[in-house]
Order: sequence, then C-alpha cells, then structure tokens
Amino acid sequence: MAAQTFLLAPPAALFAAPSSSARPFHSLRLVAGPGGAAAARALVLADATKKAVAVLKGTSEVEGVVTLTQDDEGPTTVNVRVTGLTPGLHGFHLHEFGDTTNGCISTGPHFNPNNLTHGAPEDEVRHAGDLGNIVANTEGVAEATIVDSQIPLSGPNSVVGRAFVVHELEDDLGKGGHELSLTTGNAGGRLACGVVGLTPL
Amino acid sequence: MVGFLRAFAAASAVPAVAAAAYALSSSSAPSTSKLRFPLPASFLSAAASTSSTSGRAPNAVPPMAAAAAAATADLSAPDKESALPELTTEFMVDMKCEGCVTAVKNKLQTLEGIRNIEVDLPNQVVRVLGDLPVKTMLDALHQTGRDARLIGQGNPNDFLVSAAVAEFKGPVVFGVVRLAQVNMDLARVEATFSGLSPGKHGWSINEFGDLTRGAESTGKVYNPPGYVSDKALGDLGTLEAGENGEAQFSGSKEKLRVVDLIGRSIALYATEDRSDPGIAAAVIARSAGVGENYKKLCTCDGVTIWESS
Repeated sequence: MAAQTFLLAPPAALFAAPSSSARPFHSLRLVAGPGGAAAARALVLADATKKAVAVLKGTSEVEGVVTLTQDDEGPTTVNVRVTGLTPGLHGFHLHEFGDTTNGCISTGPHFNPNNLTHGAPEDEVRHAGDLGNIVANTEGVAEATIVDSQIPLSGPNSVVGRAFVVHELEDDLGKGGHELSLTTGNAGGRLACGVVGLTPL
Repeated sequence: MVGFLRAFAAASAVPAVAAAAYALSSSSAPSTSKLRFPLPASFLSAAASTSSTSGRAPNAVPPMAAAAAAATADLSAPDKESALPELTTEFMVDMKCEGCVTAVKNKLQTLEGIRNIEVDLPNQVVRVLGDLPVKTMLDALHQTGRDARLIGQGNPNDFLVSAAVAEFKGPVVFGVVRLAQVNMDLARVEATFSGLSPGKHGWSINEFGDLTRGAESTGKVYNPPGYVSDKALGDLGTLEAGENGEAQFSGSKEKLRVVDLIGRSIALYATEDRSDPGIAAAVIARSAGVGENYKKLCTCDGVTIWESS
C-alpha cells in the first residue's frame, strides 16, 4: 500500500508542476533533481530545450500533429497523433527532405546521414529516420510517444525542415525478406506527410 | 546577353513600370499579377551580384542598362526577372530518346539568360545554368509536351543547405516558394500563388514553422540578431494578386541565408501591412540541391516520380 502511494506520487507531482500541461518535459526536468542547486541546473537545461512541430496532411483523410522536444543534447521525445488511418500498423519515418511539391514522394528517402540499411528503431543498423510503426485503433487514431536519440533538433543531423511520413502499410523493420525491406521496410505508399518546423519554447 | 536583357527592360521600365515586369516573361499563362519588390537595396544587390558571381563572363552592361537599374530602383522596380543571380537548376524531364534530348535542348536554347544546359538521358535529368526564373524554364519544358519537375537547385557542396521550399497546400491558398543560396550573401526567392483575393497582400518570413493554428502560430517576422535595417530581414514586402487570384514573385535578397531559415515559415496576409493574423503559412523545408535527389526519388517507394502524382 505504501509502495503504491510512493509509485503514484511522482507522476502526480509532475503534472501539477509549473508551466502548462503542454510542457510536461520542462516539468520533468524541474522536479527531477533535489534541492536548489539542481533547480539552477534545470534552468540552464531549460534554456537548451528545443521544440519543433509537424502538421501532417495528405491526399486522403489522414492527418495529424507530431511534436518533438529535445532537452540539451539528450534524446528527442516525439509525440504523435494521427487520425483517419485504417486500423493496424503503419510505417512512420522521417524522410530526408521536407519538399512536398510532388506529393509526399519528393521528401526523398528515409533520413539516413550514416548511410546504413533500413531497420527497427532499436537496431544498431538503421536509418536515423526509422521510427518503426505507429498503431491505429479501431477508430483509425494512432497515438504514440517515441523517444529516440538519432533525431536531434539542432546540428548537422537536425531533423528540422525534414518531413514525417505516415505510410500505408506496416514497416517490416528490414526483416520482411521483401526486395524493399532493407530500403523502405516495404511500407507502401505515403498517406500523409508534414515538415518539421520550429516552435516557440 | 544579360546586358541586352536589361537594356530591353529599360526601354519599357521608365514609361511603363508594370509592363516591364512582363517584358521578359515567356509565360504563356495570363499574367495578371503585378510584382512589387520590397527593398530597393535588394534589387541593387541583385544587379550587383551578377558582376560578382564567379565564373561569369565579363560583364558588359551598357550605360543605358545601368541607368535603368537606378531608375527602376527609384520606381520600386517590379523589373527583376532580368536581374536574377545565376544558378544551376535541375529538372526531371520525361525523355525517352536522343531525339527528346535534342528537342529539350533546342527549346531551352531559345530562352535568353541560359548559359549552360546538361542533359542526362538515363536519369531523365536536365541541368540548366542561368539567370531565368524557375517558372520560365518549367513553362518552356512543358511546351515541349513533356512532364517536367524541379528536383534540385543550387550547389550542395558549396553550402550546408543550398535550397529550401515552402509549399502552401490549400484548401484556399495554394503556392510554392523556393529559396536558393547563390552565394553567402545572397539568396534567390521565387514564388507562385493561387487562390488569393485580388489585390495586395503582405508576405514575410516568420520566425516559427508552427502551423498548428495556421499563420497565427508562426510568430513575428524573422529578423536575425545583428541585422541592421529599417525593415526586418524577413519582410518580403507586398504581392499583388490579379483578378484570377494568382500572384508571382521572383527576385533575390541580400543577407538571406537559407540554412538559417529551415524550419521557419512563409506567411501570407490578407492586408498589405500584415495587420491581420495571416491567411496562410507554410514551413520552410529542406529541399534537394543539384544531384542530391533524382536517383532516390525514383527508387524510394519502388515507384517513379511520374507515377506519384
């Protein structure tokens, strides 16, 4: 009983913490450390927090919003909400360009600064843009939180200005044995895409 | 060649400013939009850049053309099409044989302002070095009866980011804005829009690329620290849409660095002074430099670009 209380308390504190509920990651930082020194450190970290957002649209009814947050040089947290999908798994990737002038096709291949083959997000050998699959429920809504260290919001491999693409089919994570498994995960056509843009902190 | 173009523009620029804007357009589409360049300084920089571009033939601008540049600047100069800085632009063109190559080359060679044309038949790629607006070249390629798309702009080896694009996807306003780095101090800006209400519209580069609330969430006009001017660097001035709701722009802007604009946005306003929340916005996205995208474009989904639209 006591243990349960202990487990429940931190999240409650997190979301009651300063700022708005739209900024859970700031709050996380602020309450994570003990004492005043940590609070000062947290402020410095908050300065280095970077945020970005992509609004996804396509030719079909598929649309969505993806927000990205990165503290300092840490991993990037990606919050995804896509609607209008067929229930099930859909490949979800960051593509090299943000150019959608020829539809989602002109966003180029998966973002791949290290020139590797396609894989799962947890694989060593993967494109930086390989974020695996998102799962749509029976209403066609897919919600996910992805934490990944290969998609920074600044520097030479910054994903700002590149595009998220939601695919028609499941990404086989490079393991399907199909001719396209090692390039695209055989995830089929591109249903919706959106350019990652900078947002105010 | 450039000298000739400028002189030609000069003849009409003084008596009829608006006419000058179209004098060099080879567009077959009805040109009902007028162009207004935001900063006279930008225009002058564009003109100046043609003489500083490395590798360019010795500049032979006759005195008359020089005078025209000054005069049009005083008149806030819609004539810029003759003053675009030279750049390499890459198109994917539907070509199946050597005969097509000849046809494409011959057509492009009829345009004034093109210095070099390279055709890569196996990849169906045409690379054009010149000072013409993208639209003029695309129109010419389409006139050969072939599908053609821009796939790369600028030299990716010279700059971290050589080209960017912002696409307005409707449902009311559609358009494409292309930004390309010419040299460290100069970028080309080209835009086409449709679906606007006739009349003048302010437009600007805004600091954020957050479209969650449309143009309203894109923040203020972009102005980098250290940029000293009476106008923000991101202030693009005014577009004038014709009765058909279309507007076009092509020009260049000094001090604009494409790499610094990635992830920000282009916003369009209902009013000339941008006093409203904005009617549409698009994120400034990374796009391919010359040679960066064509092979990938054809193979990434197992479909070719031609089947994608």
